[in-house]
Amino acid sequence: MKEKSAVNAYRVEIKGASKHYGALKALNNFDLTIEPGTFTVLLGPSGSGKSTLIRSIAGIERLDSGRITFGDRVVADNGFHMAPEKRDLAMVFQDYALWPHMTAFENVAYALKRRNLDTTESNRRVNEALERVGLSAKGPNYPFQLSGGEQQRVALARAIVGRPSLLLFDEPLSNLDADLRERLRVEIATLTREIGATACYITHDQSEAFALADQIGVLRAGELQQIAAPEEIYRTPANRFVASFTGISGSFQGTVVEANGHKVEVALGKRRLECRAPAFLKVGDAVEVLVRPSATSFKDRNSNSLPATVLDVAYRGRGYEHVVECDFGVISSVFDSDSNARGSKVDIYIDPHHCLAFPSEKLAEVAAPIEELSSSKK
Amino acid sequence: MALGGGLLVRRRVPFSNEPSNLSRVINRIRITPMAVFWTLITFILVIPIVLFLSVAFSPRLMSQGHQWFTLASFKPVFSGAYGVALLHSLILGVVAAVGAMTIALSMAFLVIRTNTPARILWNTTIFALFLAPSYLIALGWQRLFEQHGILEIMGFQVEPIRNLLYGPVGICMVLMVKGIPFAYLVIANAMRGLGEEFEQAVRVHGGSRLEAFKVMAALLMPSLFSAMAIVFAEAISDFGVASTLSSVGHFSVATYQLYQGINAIPVNFPVSAATSITLLSLVILAILAQNRALRGRSFRTLSGRTRPATVTKLSFFGKITTSGYIIILLLITLGIPVFGAISASMLQGLGSLLSHYSINFSNYSRVLHSRFLRNPLIYSTEMSLIAATIAVSLAAIASKVLTSARNSRGKRFVDFFLLAAVALPGIVFAIGYIFTYNLKFINDLGLHIYGTSFLLALAYSANALPSTSRSLVGNMGQIQESMMDAARVHGSGGARAWFDVTMPLIARPLLIAWLLTFSGTLLELPVSELLYPPGSPPVAVGIELSLAGFDFGGGTAIEVLSILWALVVVAIAFFLFNRFAPPGWKRLGNQR
Repeated sequence: MKEKSAVNAYRVEIKGASKHYGALKALNNFDLTIEPGTFTVLLGPSGSGKSTLIRSIAGIERLDSGRITFGDRVVADNGFHMAPEKRDLAMVFQDYALWPHMTAFENVAYALKRRNLDTTESNRRVNEALERVGLSAKGPNYPFQLSGGEQQRVALARAIVGRPSLLLFDEPLSNLDADLRERLRVEIATLTREIGATACYITHDQSEAFALADQIGVLRAGELQQIAAPEEIYRTPANRFVASFTGISGSFQGTVVEANGHKVEVALGKRRLECRAPAFLKVGDAVEVLVRPSATSFKDRNSNSLPATVLDVAYRGRGYEHVVECDFGVISSVFDSDSNARGSKVDIYIDPHHCLAFPSEKLAEVAAPIEELSSSKK
Repeated sequence: MALGGGLLVRRRVPFSNEPSNLSRVINRIRITPMAVFWTLITFILVIPIVLFLSVAFSPRLMSQGHQWFTLASFKPVFSGAYGVALLHSLILGVVAAVGAMTIALSMAFLVIRTNTPARILWNTTIFALFLAPSYLIALGWQRLFEQHGILEIMGFQVEPIRNLLYGPVGICMVLMVKGIPFAYLVIANAMRGLGEEFEQAVRVHGGSRLEAFKVMAALLMPSLFSAMAIVFAEAISDFGVASTLSSVGHFSVATYQLYQGINAIPVNFPVSAATSITLLSLVILAILAQNRALRGRSFRTLSGRTRPATVTKLSFFGKITTSGYIIILLLITLGIPVFGAISASMLQGLGSLLSHYSINFSNYSRVLHSRFLRNPLIYSTEMSLIAATIAVSLAAIASKVLTSARNSRGKRFVDFFLLAAVALPGIVFAIGYIFTYNLKFINDLGLHIYGTSFLLALAYSANALPSTSRSLVGNMGQIQESMMDAARVHGSGGARAWFDVTMPLIARPLLIAWLLTFSGTLLELPVSELLYPPGSPPVAVGIELSLAGFDFGGGTAIEVLSILWALVVVAIAFFLFNRFAPPGWKRLGNQR
């Protein structure tokens, strides 16, 4: 393969992808399109099929059925399977997958073999990649001589050094501590956008997804629940699962007492709470109210309030996070610049825009077609 | 796993963007290393064994009788000479198992839990015992204690000891000696996992020393049963002692009875097969018991937080006593046979009725200059090189299948068949080959390979495959599959990824497996004895032929030279590995 002067980012299209492991459906007639040069994060819990999907895109797994194309090149199609090494992509693995018998330099250089470069150019590229991830002095070190963060940086350098058309990330930060995770996240975001490749990243961490993505796809049981820009996912989740998986502070059970399009009023015992309803709801529906962390406050006074007792308070540097208990349940992550003592009585104010009402579990099945209809219209 | 990358047929990338029908078809046809692997496994392992053993139930199937199904072949197995031999084997197996386990337990305790000075000698002894076949240990003892043997020449009266040696006591002792290293490794591993926290937990909750000891014993129990099962299986399938002490002492055991049966005219294959199945069943029962025990508590004592147990500091008297015990054990297990072999090889006139004997190197000189004595060593070296290479190549694939994350049918089949094949006594294996490759329909297929070096090499490889595969499973299981995946997505084909990533990661275990297979095959007895091509005896047969011709000096000189040669090959291989292997390859094996 001849070396390319610039990255030709792929448009990745997946149509009707299915994969079973025995009776388990890992992917169920899955469709997804990733536009060239964009950064897509696939978010989902364990068993949602995100690893199977990214491994199928890489060519490590064979689909049972369905089609994957990179641009206008078919790489998998109902029995046809292009080997991973032919797909011109690179991948960063959760466990780094560095080869322990090779130095950091050799690990990175390995990914350049397919480019058939001369030694001088190859060495230059490897040094450049190592320098880019801040490891120019660590080239001669073996993986066991590097820290976890350094190892993942080598894996990142290995992925970008060949300037691939598609970069895949398989939960690359999940084995790192919080501080390192944040620093490497920034590096991944900047480096990927610098080289201009299409990127597909899987994670179960919603904060990572929101920080990195141009678009987020939320997966559940092998099916795509919603794919949209991070802001839309947060503000207008397609269903209860998407809402709960992208961050909530607490939830209450109630009944709709007033419905006006996407605005509803929900009775929680004798109290009423104004909420937003992404799905169609009518008066009398039993609902579950999901409260986003950004909805809660002690100070932004409005009529949407609940009396509560502080259960716990934790200092977070720029302020305090509280866990409070009201008559209807517990709400966590209530931020305030001042501390409220444990056991003190408070009023918690809830922003109706970030307080979402969904049909409660019994009604969920009935409401599902309506949700799909509403999300497809968006 | 990405092994199916296609070593033989590389799948093509379509030139057009849409894959053509042809490329779809080619993509579906995958002649992979796995296909080659399965074909070889079928021909060298499955067919010979299954065909031979099936004759016990269906003599007519292979033209060995008139009945399509009968259990009549099993009748003689439990009566007459076969029945007596089987009973002897059972008793010997049980006694050897209990004895080896007891000695191994005491040694594990002394080596791991005390500071006795002689413990440093033990690890070398263990590996030497692993390498030494049982017939060589038995021959060493024989040379010392036989009539007109070394000790009698030296003026000692050894008749009472000789009478013990050439009977159940001697046979049992050698089987026990051969079983000690197996038992020791199992028990020592379990004992290392028993950190001091278990004892401390008993003591801080009010338990006495005795109660702490009881808890430790209970935790060790699975490994003790496991050790006994292994030694039992090794003992009842052993052919080395059967062909030496047992045959000379006329104390029949099952494996020697099988050997005699196969040498009778006409050969009664159905009864041999029935005896083999009975023997195999006993071995499998023992190994299943071992597996059951290993799934029990012994592994659960190991955790990342296990603290090493405290080493008991012995008094001066304690050190002297325990060191004395270890040295005596070392002398019995290795010292006496080695002394017997070396002294016999240097004694001119041993085995004759001469009254004058001299000590010199003339026997060695004869071996090196006589092609009749030298050729077996050369022939066995060639065979061992081939067999070790084939066996280790197949074992690498088998171990990869066994450690695959997917629980496929292929994996379960390999797992079961290799477990069963580990249990298959070498003598049964060899008889299976004789039977299968003499069948009319095999010859009609044009496979005239009986009595050829080709068949012997295949038999050696197949015989070594199960244990070699098992020895690689642990190392292969440590390789994260993502490393192969990483090589594939970064541009390497399946074969290249295998050679670039997997092979370097298990380079040292592969080398060790190769050397163990090489050494084991070089000195292998039962398969050699039954399958060697006319006029080309391997080392083990060469030694036996010399001894049968009363050339005790020449026979023992070949024996000593063979062991030295095996050690030289091991030394050369390690030297070359340490000198020329890339630094990353060397580091990995060393850390394990």
